[in-house]
Amino acid sequence: MNVLFGLVSAMLVGATPILLAAIGGTFTFYAGIFNIAMEGMMLVGAFCAVLGSFFLHSWVLGILCAIGGALIMAGIFVVFAVRLHTDEFLTGIALNLFAVGLTTFLLRDIFHVKGAFTDAGIRAIPAVRLPLIDGIRVLGRLLSGYNLIIYVAVLVTALSAFIIFRTRFGLRLRGAGYNAACLNSSGVQASTIRVWSLIVCAVCCGLAGAYLSLGSVRLFSENMSAGRGWISLAAVILVSGNPWGIGVISLLFGFFDGLTVFLQGGRIPTQFTAMIPYIATLVSLYLYSVRKRRRA
Amino acid sequence: MAGGVLIDLQHITKVFPPDTVALADVSVSFEAGEIHALVGENGAGKSTLMKVFYGLERRDAGTIFFRGAKVEFRTPREAISAGIGMVHQEILLIPEYTVWQNIVLGAEPVRAFGTVDAHKAREAVRQKIEEFQFNLDPDALVGDISVAARQKVEILKLLYRNVSVLILDEPTAVLTPQEIPQLFAELARLRDKGHTIIFISHRLDEVLTLSDRVTVMRRGKVVGTSAASELTKEDLARQMVGREVLFTSRRQPQEPGEIIFHARRLNCSDIEHRIRLHDVTVDVRAGEIVGVAGVEGNGQFELVNAIMGLAPMTSGTLEVKGKDITHADILTRRMLIAFVPQDRGKMGASVTASILEDAIMTHHILDPRFRTWRGLGLDYRHAAEFVDQIRDQFTVSMGHSSDPFSSLSGGNQQKVILGRELLLETPFVLMDQPTRGLDVGSIEYVHQLLLDLRSRKRAVLLVSADLDELFIVADRIVVMCQGEVVADLATDTTSREEVGYYMLGGKEAAHAETGS
Repeated sequence: MNVLFGLVSAMLVGATPILLAAIGGTFTFYAGIFNIAMEGMMLVGAFCAVLGSFFLHSWVLGILCAIGGALIMAGIFVVFAVRLHTDEFLTGIALNLFAVGLTTFLLRDIFHVKGAFTDAGIRAIPAVRLPLIDGIRVLGRLLSGYNLIIYVAVLVTALSAFIIFRTRFGLRLRGAGYNAACLNSSGVQASTIRVWSLIVCAVCCGLAGAYLSLGSVRLFSENMSAGRGWISLAAVILVSGNPWGIGVISLLFGFFDGLTVFLQGGRIPTQFTAMIPYIATLVSLYLYSVRKRRRA
Repeated sequence: MAGGVLIDLQHITKVFPPDTVALADVSVSFEAGEIHALVGENGAGKSTLMKVFYGLERRDAGTIFFRGAKVEFRTPREAISAGIGMVHQEILLIPEYTVWQNIVLGAEPVRAFGTVDAHKAREAVRQKIEEFQFNLDPDALVGDISVAARQKVEILKLLYRNVSVLILDEPTAVLTPQEIPQLFAELARLRDKGHTIIFISHRLDEVLTLSDRVTVMRRGKVVGTSAASELTKEDLARQMVGREVLFTSRRQPQEPGEIIFHARRLNCSDIEHRIRLHDVTVDVRAGEIVGVAGVEGNGQFELVNAIMGLAPMTSGTLEVKGKDITHADILTRRMLIAFVPQDRGKMGASVTASILEDAIMTHHILDPRFRTWRGLGLDYRHAAEFVDQIRDQFTVSMGHSSDPFSSLSGGNQQKVILGRELLLETPFVLMDQPTRGLDVGSIEYVHQLLLDLRSRKRAVLLVSADLDELFIVADRIVVMCQGEVVADLATDTTSREEVGYYMLGGKEAAHAETGS
């Protein structure tokens, strides 16, 4: 029983940052932007969260700083890819590389450490006990007592499904991706919609980054996002942007991620266990293409 | 029925840098409640004039009056809010959205939290559909409906925004001949409800059928405006081209020679195992033009693909000049067959490549003149000479041979393709809709070219949706229906009605007499 609870908990911890980043990515996906900058936004978010939490002594301000940092990254993306019409893919790569360099440099410059910075002064985002459910024995243990951001992520998923498929903004957002010229001729500027989608994406990636550095742990380490932004991109493409599908895929990755942690105690070398999420990505891509071919 | 001048364009001048005068002091006025056709050859300036009016292009001089007041539309959005809408040639809709979603996009009714009021939107769209009798399902996905229906959606999108003036840029270019009368009926209904319609076209019959008044443009100038009832097709063509145009056949009697092209019992199916061609047999003799008629989608495209080896056949044999090419690769076929495909921009040429590159396609492999370094290199000097040859022989008006193919007008693009193919000097020529989208002058040129080929004893198979064209140039007309050849008729002894009867699935009463 304890193993099960541990696995569920590890799964949710692993899934949350991917889920948040992917939900952000799905907005840009529907807006027709090939946005691969989630990795960089998340990393900058994670760093700024620690920065804010440490110096301002508040996890709330830490989260706000994370969102602010990710928004600056999105601003750069907007200037280049939307305003100056540079290649989205190259802009994304540049931003991701820039994020690694910038956070590593600032880590050394501000905190004077190499590798990782951790300090008792960093305020973590608290865990939340759900009222009512917390009292129920198994269910309470299964669903209650997780980090605040995990619940936020669930809310964000439901909210994004509503926004994308029910609202006027959603109709225009998807219109921008399907046929931007059509949206323009209908009197709505597709580029404005795209800017908004990037802002939403940055907020989500900022939350994901804050969760990484202030949620499960209280530290920032170099290249902390460790490819989660890329996996979130894979999740978005895999389910063609459907938020509920993204939730399922994220849980799946979270599960394998959690499995990695469990298996690390055993005889399997850690290098191999660390490969599991990526092998899972390739396997799921394969299964996806097989399914797609059968349907065609 | 006209209710006074609604739109008055005065002395409009537009120059495309550096020195192309697209509109030279053009003045036209449109009256309320009329269907007014704007005709002219490609490049005559009719679309440009409307784009200037609609706020899509800046003008260099001139004034625009709408409802008696001087106006200035900087964007189409401003024009729409003033009550003027334009339907462009290329349809701009979202195939993933339903009809009603496409129509309301950008002007959606909303409820609390910014949610789209789907019920209200659908009702509003349904009302518009009923009001104008457009026969559309508001819940159908736009990706699933026909091109004609999509065009209706475009028109409804403007009507939903309450426009009173509709500008249609060559609306019939994307329609099949069967869909055109329906569009015309709908446009006439709109006019009767008080809308003003400006209709850009270069198809003379349509213009005369539909419009109340016609303005002819030529080379950026207005030739004149007259009531449609006072015009004949010949008048219009003369005003458009600036000289007499012949619509009757100049085919000289000529005895055809030996059989050059022989297709026997061709069969092919699509991916879903539906039969697309069934036992199609066609012969073409030297010095003979055989036309293939049929409602679009009845196997003509598959026949062309089968002949060129672009799609596999399930059975049948193909012969050109006694040589069996049933299993030949495409290059072998190209040595025997000149091929003008129906889609200039996709299969006929690469629009982003240069004129030179497009002109020497196929030749660069078949003609040793263009090869250097044992075929590893290309002889650009000879290639440039070859482009000059095409330019002079086929009267192409073009810039430098290194300019992109897309810099040519439609007619000149087709001339380059025709030149390239005909200079292959093959015994058999296959043309699929060679005049589609061309203006009157260019069409006449292509017809003359076809007749020249005939007198030079080449065998020509001409697929065309235009019956007039087939009656002008073809010796025989083969009619296809549902993948089968249902009739093989000599042009001189048949009639349009008879061909139309077979096209629509009439069974072979006269088949035995005409002898296939």
